[in-house]
Amino acid sequence: MIKIDKILLSIFQRAFKSITDEMSISLTKTTRSPILCEAKDFVTGLYDAEGNMLEQTENLPILSFSLGPVCKVILDQYGENIFEGDVIIHNDVFSMGNQNNDVAIFKPIFCEGTLIGWSAAKGHQADIGGAVQGGYNPNATEVWQEALRIPAVKLYEKGKFREDVWNLIFANIRLTMVQEDIKAQIGACSLGERRLNALVSKYGIACYEAHKKELFNSTETMMRAEIASVPNGKYEGSSMVYFDGKHPGSKFEIKAIITVKDEEIIFDFSESSPQTNGFVNGTYTSSCSAITLTFLQMVNPNIPHNQGMIRPLTYIVPEGTILNASYPKATTFGNHLCPQVADSIFKALGPAMPGRVTAGWNHLLCSLFTGNHPRTNEKYVDICFMGLKGGSGALEGDDGYDHIGMIDASGGLLDQDYEMYEQQTPHLILKHEYLTNSGGAGKWRGGLGIETIIKMGGDNTKMVVFGDGDVEPNYGLFGGKGSVLNSISLTYPDGKEHVPMSKDIVEGIPDGTVYKQVAGGGGGYGNPKERDREAVKWDLLNEVITEEQAVNEYGLK
Amino acid sequence: MKYKIGIDVGGTFTDFFLVADNGDSLIHKTLSTPQDSSEGFITGLKEMAEKLNLPVAKFIDNIDTIVHGTTVATNALLTLGGAKTALITTKGFRDALEMRRGIREERYDNHYKNVTPLVPRYLRYTINERIDAVGTILHSIDFAELDAIVSRIKIEQVQAVAICFMNSYLNSENEKIATEYLRQALPNTYISASYEVLPSVRFYERVSTTIVNAYIGVVVDSYLKSLLAKLKKLNFNGKLMIMQSNGGVVTPEIAGKIAAVAVLSGPAAAPIAGAYYANLLGYDNCITMDMGGTSFDASLVVNKQCVTSTDADIDRYRVALPTLDIITIGAGGGSIGWVDNGGLLQMGPKSAGSLPGPISYHRGGEKPTCTDADLILGYLDPNFFAGGKYKLNKEKTVEVTAKGLGKNLGLSATEVAAGMYRVINMNMAQGVRQVSVERGYDPREFLMICAGGAGSIHAGEICRELEIPMFVVPSVAPIFCAAGMLLGDLKHDYVRSYMAKLSGLDKVAFLKLYDEMKAESIKTLVAEGITEDKIQFIPSLDLRYVGQYHEVPLEVSMDDVYGFNLEAIKNAFHKEHSRQFGYDLKVEGTELEVINIRFRAVGITEKPHSLSGNITKGANTLQEALKGRRMAYVPEKNEMQEVPVYDGDILNSNFKINGPAIIEQVNTTVFLGESYNCETGIGGAFIVYNKILMPDGFKKFKVSSSELKKQEM
Repeated sequence: MIKIDKILLSIFQRAFKSITDEMSISLTKTTRSPILCEAKDFVTGLYDAEGNMLEQTENLPILSFSLGPVCKVILDQYGENIFEGDVIIHNDVFSMGNQNNDVAIFKPIFCEGTLIGWSAAKGHQADIGGAVQGGYNPNATEVWQEALRIPAVKLYEKGKFREDVWNLIFANIRLTMVQEDIKAQIGACSLGERRLNALVSKYGIACYEAHKKELFNSTETMMRAEIASVPNGKYEGSSMVYFDGKHPGSKFEIKAIITVKDEEIIFDFSESSPQTNGFVNGTYTSSCSAITLTFLQMVNPNIPHNQGMIRPLTYIVPEGTILNASYPKATTFGNHLCPQVADSIFKALGPAMPGRVTAGWNHLLCSLFTGNHPRTNEKYVDICFMGLKGGSGALEGDDGYDHIGMIDASGGLLDQDYEMYEQQTPHLILKHEYLTNSGGAGKWRGGLGIETIIKMGGDNTKMVVFGDGDVEPNYGLFGGKGSVLNSISLTYPDGKEHVPMSKDIVEGIPDGTVYKQVAGGGGGYGNPKERDREAVKWDLLNEVITEEQAVNEYGLK
Repeated sequence: MKYKIGIDVGGTFTDFFLVADNGDSLIHKTLSTPQDSSEGFITGLKEMAEKLNLPVAKFIDNIDTIVHGTTVATNALLTLGGAKTALITTKGFRDALEMRRGIREERYDNHYKNVTPLVPRYLRYTINERIDAVGTILHSIDFAELDAIVSRIKIEQVQAVAICFMNSYLNSENEKIATEYLRQALPNTYISASYEVLPSVRFYERVSTTIVNAYIGVVVDSYLKSLLAKLKKLNFNGKLMIMQSNGGVVTPEIAGKIAAVAVLSGPAAAPIAGAYYANLLGYDNCITMDMGGTSFDASLVVNKQCVTSTDADIDRYRVALPTLDIITIGAGGGSIGWVDNGGLLQMGPKSAGSLPGPISYHRGGEKPTCTDADLILGYLDPNFFAGGKYKLNKEKTVEVTAKGLGKNLGLSATEVAAGMYRVINMNMAQGVRQVSVERGYDPREFLMICAGGAGSIHAGEICRELEIPMFVVPSVAPIFCAAGMLLGDLKHDYVRSYMAKLSGLDKVAFLKLYDEMKAESIKTLVAEGITEDKIQFIPSLDLRYVGQYHEVPLEVSMDDVYGFNLEAIKNAFHKEHSRQFGYDLKVEGTELEVINIRFRAVGITEKPHSLSGNITKGANTLQEALKGRRMAYVPEKNEMQEVPVYDGDILNSNFKINGPAIIEQVNTTVFLGESYNCETGIGGAFIVYNKILMPDGFKKFKVSSSELKKQEM
């Protein structure tokens, strides 16, 4: 029997964290796609031999739950056939993948011949095959129109590279960059493998196993204490999703039924709408990530991210609902149902934990340009990150965060630099500023939204639009007000205006067209009349609000 | 007799290191005077005259150079105590400063706030001017717009103005016209223009740096003027130089103008001193660690050069000037131990500071700190702290620790202290990992140089964690930065953005930019009193593979630049990319892209001949230096054990000490664990090496930069 050394427990926890951080740094520096090296849309993690999470570095919170379920699938699939030197690749959303573009690499870690754990890295690839480059295909209804499916398969076995498998996969993916980025993920996993192996060799397997269990228990204790502070009860909240990409006017409900009983919490989404016939569907894993990241924002932010953290959480997301589409439905949009999942949870738990929920965050509405850059005569692809990021909802004690972007990223997504943007695309930015009056009024104000105006250059530009938030404004809480709607519009050189749908493709956009986007702010919290008068005056002085709003909404005399 | 003095103003102490031209040296410390740090500066000089038995006037007369590291700029930024500043920028781009590209560092903490913008929105003015992406002027300056802003600025009593226009790095005409106009209209206002501070691509970096420069400029300029006036009053006729963040020195006139170069003026001297010691021992590469009261700094020296970055964040404010790459984490003597909700022991980042301070200081501190743990574990002697100047209360420390953390964790005071010691060592090792592994370097191939009074108690365990085979504790460890200041050269960095494929570089235009930067640097250095034969030029290029986003800075030779030897540059880039990231695209023949061209001019200053501390008399035998024995915690065995204690101040000949042992000096304590041996008397330093990793002694271990293995990915 190994005696638990409390100090060694801290050391293991820190060591796990520093390993996944190191893997994350390695990936940032070595990947090529800006979605990985700039927007950091990836996660690195360590798992034990049973697939329990030891630690994770999820740069975007939407990846907080995305590796663990896959690790268990791999363990089931390979059973005894897991060897030192194996490298396994996976993206399949119908075997616990979260999104087609998010491709995972897993590497088993052995110590003295025994499997002791796994290192894993999952990143959003610039292309994954399917009908549309980049993977977002608003016309898709089935997975094959979206992506190449990769159920768990070995790229290396016992250290031997399987070139035939590699070639089969990459024959179906447009950009060679993706091969480089997958190599970088394998590199990061090797790093994690070496470090965990060294750590366990130092203290011995028995000691590691015992302390790992204790670490899970201690984290679980922390999480249980957090849940115990929520009054027992059954809470309900819901939020709407508009337009599935196929059927104009369609709308769907995401409904959370949350039961808190002592130290446990159940998130039940079985009363949500059935799956859609468009590409607006979630996967089990992406939906559980959305639930997890929302709840993590309501508890002590310093809880270690290991299996103990999620043990007291129960997820009920039945197959066939919009949050867990059944085979072979299209699901690429799934990560972007996170805002509505978060809304439904915040709304449900608002009465029970008013001090910890936020008012509504701005929902994602996003555009992706592809075209030819006349100055270099080269093709470019650009997701307009700077335009899509609205404000977060206010909460008790603090205003929302300005221009933070959707809750799935919670501030992890960087704007392009303006000058680099004008080099890499043919476009001229006319305006990118906070939008006055866009933060929902409240005792604590919602974070500010953004207004973007771009004069588009180059002929025959193509624009893919996907998102939501253009029908229903987000909500304020406890007397706080909502914010403005998202919108995207094009004004052609001949003066005609075109407003695309929230899931749409616009082709042949001519040089000189003016692109205009509003990303709304966050909702306000509490009665705006109770807002600190100095704060109202400060907002007025800084033109964050107009005099009209100061007088009418905030009651400034 | 002529003196050179390094003066480092820190939060608690102002450190002095004097070297005379006959090689004698003197270490001195005096309390800092935060309200006006020039007071402590002057007091310390007077105290040193007294120590040397010289009249103040005579002493001042003997000083030929003072190199000064100041925290004035850093503090103005950290405490938001800078000038009331306005920004004038291009219409449509009012908020780039405050947005910080939309980042929130803490993803799960909805109470986490954005930084307070150094210029509030109402003082951020925009005008209808515009340069496009190839440098063409789309809208010229409208002076009526500027006039309206000038009157607002006067009404608001703004003290400093930053000017930064879109794409001005391609064509600075609009910005120049506006700047000159404002300098005339507002003669008493500090004007900071982006084309003067940082003429390179990336708007957020440029606007933030230009604003930081404006914000701290007034404070730094007036501090330096007041300091110069005080020195003049003492009839100081020598040279005063200011330490810059890039590890070079600069005249106070230039530091007053481009104040942002001094934003990390203090800690920048540590890697400079580190490079000196590494070189002395025949090493090209080292890591310096400096453990103070609240923070722990780590930095790298590679191939005798301090590692520089151009994307430094000071408390989340971006300063994109070349800055020595120093990682700071919240771990120091004052770091407080606590237990989190899950029952895990944690250390810091909260610090007890100097008030109430650690429990052992007996000034009201009730929370166990790292210093308290070091005392309980026997590393510190309660009667010999700072050479006996302060008494530590060990009894109370043990009692409070046992009652608090001990009860909470079910451990004895000693067990708690041992835990605190191990946890904080782990944190500091993580800081070293960040500065090395994150940059693609394997820490095992570096020499560790250890500064700060308490650093050498912890260095052994940090090194063991990272498998670093050896650490060095110089005799100047307690005033390490002050010593490093005497080793800085005059350094000026220039940058021009030049975006093109490498193969498509226009030779004439390219060389013209270098000629410009070269002429400007010579002019500046000559004005600072450097002769042309003492100037070194270091050109570099920011390059990347076409399609990549992050560029890699690459140092090149003057021959390659002026010989326009693109093949050599290409090959060097492949090599550097492979070293940092584990692969290159040479075989694939991937094109390279230039983003910025950079130029550093170094004016070589005269250096002191030696940096050994003030050792007066030496011991003839090791036995003579043995002060006694006491119980101390030996981490390798996880138990307390009796170990010998040596007087380090008299160990200036060659001796070999086997661990476990303690070496005590007035301001430094070195702890040797069971894994270590120590050799003394070499270059005024203690050389501590791991018995297992270096079985043949320290001289046998040497890795030159050419043998540096790339980090396997």
